Order: sequence, then C-alpha cells, then structure tokens
Amino acid sequence: MKKFFVILLIVSLLVTLGMAKTKIQFWHAMSGWRIELLQNMANDFMERHPDIEVEVQYTGSYQDTLNKLIAAIKAGTPPHVVQVFEIGTQSMIDGGIAITMQDMIDKDPTFDMAALLPQVLNYYVVDGKLYCMPFNSSNAIMFYNKTMFEEAGLDPTNPPATYEELLEACKALTKKDANGNIIKSGITWNLHSWFFEQMLALQDAPMVNNNNGRTAAPTEAVFNNEAGLKFVKLWKELSDNDYMVNTKKEDWTGARKLFLSQSVGMLITSTSDVAAIMDGAKENGFEVSAAFLPTPADSPQGGVVIGGGSLWMIDGNPVNEEEATWEFVKFMSETEQQIAWHKGTGYFPVRKDAITQLLNEGYYRDYPDHMVAILQLLFSKQNSNTNGAIMGIFPEFRNTFEDNIERMLNGQLTPEQVLKMSEETATELLEEYNEMY
Amino acid sequence: MRRLQKAASVFTGGTLLKKIIPYLLLVPTFFVIIAFIYAPAVNSFRMSFFRENKFGTKTMYVGLDNFEKVLFDPEYLQIASFTLLYVGLTVFLTVFISFLLALLLNKNVPGTYIYRALIFIPYAVSPAIAGSLWTFLLDPVAGHVNYLFTNIFGTQIAWLTTRPYAFYALLLATIWKMMPFNLIFYIAGLQSISSDLLESATLDGANAFVKTWKIKFPLVSPMTFYLVIMNIISGMFQSFAIINVMTSGGPGGYTNTMMYKVYLDAFSYQKTGLASAQSVVMFVIMAIVTVIYFIFGERRVHYR
Repeated sequence: MKKFFVILLIVSLLVTLGMAKTKIQFWHAMSGWRIELLQNMANDFMERHPDIEVEVQYTGSYQDTLNKLIAAIKAGTPPHVVQVFEIGTQSMIDGGIAITMQDMIDKDPTFDMAALLPQVLNYYVVDGKLYCMPFNSSNAIMFYNKTMFEEAGLDPTNPPATYEELLEACKALTKKDANGNIIKSGITWNLHSWFFEQMLALQDAPMVNNNNGRTAAPTEAVFNNEAGLKFVKLWKELSDNDYMVNTKKEDWTGARKLFLSQSVGMLITSTSDVAAIMDGAKENGFEVSAAFLPTPADSPQGGVVIGGGSLWMIDGNPVNEEEATWEFVKFMSETEQQIAWHKGTGYFPVRKDAITQLLNEGYYRDYPDHMVAILQLLFSKQNSNTNGAIMGIFPEFRNTFEDNIERMLNGQLTPEQVLKMSEETATELLEEYNEMY
Repeated sequence: MRRLQKAASVFTGGTLLKKIIPYLLLVPTFFVIIAFIYAPAVNSFRMSFFRENKFGTKTMYVGLDNFEKVLFDPEYLQIASFTLLYVGLTVFLTVFISFLLALLLNKNVPGTYIYRALIFIPYAVSPAIAGSLWTFLLDPVAGHVNYLFTNIFGTQIAWLTTRPYAFYALLLATIWKMMPFNLIFYIAGLQSISSDLLESATLDGANAFVKTWKIKFPLVSPMTFYLVIMNIISGMFQSFAIINVMTSGGPGGYTNTMMYKVYLDAFSYQKTGLASAQSVVMFVIMAIVTVIYFIFGERRVHYR
C-alpha cells in the first residue's frame, strides 16, 4: 500500500512538472477599477495561452512601481514586464536593465510595427530603436462648460483658441460676490509641469538641448524661451485676476472636481479623463465639449506630446519566460485589447486599426470628445520638439518647476525668475546626472 | 520518561545553561531588529559616502561630498529651520493643550466618558487618513471650514496652497493627531495625584492657578519629560504622512521638512547617497536632543 502511494506521488509530480506553466509577472501602476480591467485582460490572455500564467500586480503609483522595480533589480529578482511612465523612458534606457523592444519585434515577423500610431512611436523610439511597447497614451486637452458659456454670453460653439481669447472668455466667466470672493471662475488645470511641457511643444519650442535629448544625452535645459515665458505669464495673469483657480501640486481630482461642480468654466486635463468628464457633466446637468489647447495668436504651430505609460520587458529572466513575456506584451498591444482598454479608461488606442474600427462602430458619434483628442494628436507636427523631451532627471525637474510656480502664485517670484531659476536648476541636475552614466 | 525528566532538570538546573537561555530566547527578537533596523541603519551610514545611479549599476565613492552638499545648501538650511519651528510649535502646543484638556477631563462632569472617547478617536486614525480628512475639511471650494469662514467672516482662504496658511493647517492637523496620545498619559498621571495633597493645599489657601501649576504640573513632570521626547520623535519622523498628503511640502517648498526631503531625494529622485547623508544628519540631531534632555531634563524632573 505504501509503495503504491509513493509511486502515485512520483507519477503525479512528473505529470505536473510536464504541465508546469511558465509564470510571468506583470507590474502596473493603474489604480481603482483599472486593476480589475487589466486582470481581465490577463485572464483572456491565459485562456488563449494555457501554458503561460501571468501574475498581475498593482504596485502603486508610477513612482512606487519604479522604486519597486529598482529594489527588485538590486535584489536580483526582476519582474518580467513593468509599466513605466513616459518620463522614466530615459532612465530606463540609461539603466540598461530592459530588453530593447525593437530586438523582440525584429525577431517576430508576425508583429508589424507600422500598425502603431507614428505619433506614439515617435516618443518611444530613441536613436532609431523602439525601447518599449506603447500601451497607455494620453495628452492634454481642454474641456469647456457650454452651459456656463451661454450664461456668460459667450459663443458655446467657439471655444477660445488663443491665449488672448482665453483671457477674454475667462473674464466673462468670472463672477465675484460683494466681498470680492470668487463665486465662479474661468479656468483651472492642476498645478503640474506636464501642462507647461505640452504648451512648449504646442508652440514648437524645445525643453532641453541636443534636440530635446533625442540625438544625444541632454546637457543643458533651454526652456527659458519666448514660448515658455508666454505660457507662464498667462498662468500668472489668469491667477492674479482670479480668472483661474489653482489646485495643489498634481491634484488631478481637485481640478476635475472644480470643473464638474461648475466652479470654473474650463478645464485643461489629460485625455484619459474624457469619459469621466463626459459622464460627470451629464450627472451634474451641464453640456460639455472638448477643444484643442489654446496657443498664443502669433506662435508657430507645434503639437501635443504623448504622456502616459508603456510596457518594458526586464532583462535577466530565462529564455522561455522571456518568450512568454513577449507573447503577453504583443497581446496587450493588439486591436481588441487596445479598444477594451480605451473604452475602459480613456487612454487612446495606440494602434491605427483600433481607431478605424471604433470609427466604423460609430463610437465617435456617441463620444465626439474622444475624436477631438485623437485629432489633436494627429494634427500635431512631428519633430523633436513635439515628440517630447527625454531626460533622466524628469521627476526632480518637475518638482522644482512646480515649486517655483507655487512661489510665483504666492507672489515671491516673477514669471521671468521662475523660468530662469528652473532652467538653471535643471541644467545643474543634468550635469550631475550625466556624471553617473 | 525518567531519563527525560533527568535531562530536563540538568537542562534547567545547569548554571551555564541558565545563563544562556535568556539570550537564546532573545535571538529571534535580535534577528528581527538587526535585519530591519540595525543593518539598514549601518547601510545608510555607508551609503552616505557614495553616489549611486538609479538602478545601482554605477557606484562612486565621494567621501564627504554628500554631507557638504546637504549642509551648505541654503534650501536645506531653510528646510531645517522650518522643521525646527514646526516641531517646536507642535510639541509645545500639543503638550500644553493636552495638559489643559486632561485637567478638564479629570473633573467629573457628566458625560466625561463620552468626551474622552471623542477626543481619543484621532489616536486610532492613521496619519495618512488624518491628512486626507483635513484636506477634505480645508478644501477651498467644497470644504466645511471654508464654508463656515465664508458665512461668518466673508473670506475664502486657500488653506493648503498659500503662505502662511499651509503651515497653520499642518499645525492643526498634527496637533489634532498627536494630542490623544498625550492626553491618555496626562489623565492617568493626574488621577494618580493623591487628593490629600490638593486638600491640604486648599486648606493653606492655594487657588486653582497655584494648585495647577505649582502642584499638579510638577507632579506630572516625568510624564511631560517622556511626552516631549516622544512628541519630538513623532514630529520629526512620523509627521511625514500628514505632510505628504496635505501639502506635499508646498507651496513652493514652504512646508518641506527634513523627513519629507529625505523621502523626496530617496524615493522620487533616487539619490540614495544624498538621502542617506540627510538621515545621518537627522540621526545626529536626534542623538544630541536626547542626550541634552537626559542630562539637563533629569535634574528638573520631579520623580516621586
């Protein structure tokens, strides 16, 4: 009897060994309902590939995820695929810890890179090589409350397109009580350096030298230019006149709340908020529409920069796991998944055929604001200025810039000083960074 | 069986073993402390002499460069002086208000238990949640505090984004959070003061002020001594969550503290060397504070 059990045990062990699944870990930074959405996508993948098991883990914010990745790499237990924010691109390349996505694509004839949106690819292609798989992309867009526009005597079909028109519209929208307290105001965007970066690109101006860091590692910040000054001055003018309500640093929810409660008539936010804003407007009983971001009347035309995140394959895992990971990454960029992801979150699809299919389905008829978001991206001129700066010091630069903007709003700095000081700090940080690579 | 008992008696009876057993029992604790406190602490001392890039692929010995960068940075000095102000004010106000509230809660007014329960609740709330709560209350548009302010004084204040209100908001939230801990100790301390003392003081003609500050306060001074130390530690280190949630060091770095700066440098910018140097600086400051307090504080504290 004993023997029988021993044999049974050995046989079952061997059987399970033969069926052993390849386990891969996927770390992401998408909170809330998106955790379930990504899990479902992974479940679909596992159904199609019964021999692969994907462990999906929400690892906190983008920054937390990056920190966990760094810790895992130092400990020698890297995950297989990690979602990294767009501003981590240069650090990831310099770190040399990822498999260049281009190598995987070149090996696999079933994957056609041309199916991806060139505007998205241009961000993640550095030195002619795609380093990661674009996954969740977004850029900045403006929403305006048509109902409030009508009440203020503005044309609801003609949103402001220039800084000058924006000031006029905000002036008309702003209302104060007898004590000088603001009841309604013109516009808000959360206090985030990202909007400054977008506004620079829209005016076809660079952030850092060496073609925004795309031909060589940047050594100097160059955003203290006319385009930058125009936007920061606008920010100050809007705030000084109470035409704009400022939030805390990077407080996306706060800005959205201001717009949805109809405290402000306009909102500049991420295109990944399109669904949330459209639903919120319906709930709060006002009409909303999306518009392109405003630019100064006399500025050259540039375009918007891609934000969001991408999927990175981490080096140092066995070959069979690497292959399984590539299958998963490929799956996540497929049309079906991209459409599900877009509908579930608002990040726009990174594939051309996904957009075509949505168009055929009549999706953009029901959600015209998504169309505005896509068009703004497609109309963007493509050069190093609009492809966005890449630099390893992005998180620290952003914090420095936002600190200086806060000082300006508290009356301690002028727009000129904000730009000068931020640029000097950024250049110092770049020099310090370059010493280490 | 008998043999086993004999072995056991040898085991417990042996003088050498008797000495070893306590240490053996402490091993698990020491293992945990060494792995999670001492080893990382030693490592951060070591790291303060190095510069490392993000993924640790390149490490460079820089000697005292990190310390030089920290100590000669005007921004860091400003952060240090803000930390001093913040910790000093919160500790003083927390201890003072707690003592006064404890006096009130010790008078057996009807409903004392309800008041006590209500005042203790913040202690059970985690600092991050306390921060979120106050962020809600102080919200310039939807917050209750501003609703009251607009109706009573006719003004709106952007509590978390303007000077000096961001500082006031932080003080409020920190004191609110730290007070219950102090209260528990003070109430216990006040309850243990014998009523004979107070009665004889009353017979000698002492008024309430004299009884409070000449009798009660000195008698709970060991408590105060302990609380001040604990409050300084929590103000220096644990207030991180409240600052992170409420102001993120803003506006414009105005409410940045030494602890929050360590977090930013280590976990937002991945400058582990610089952050380690800052933790060493904080370690030295805390060591000095503790030593000074034990030397000078001990003499004045009235131990019974």
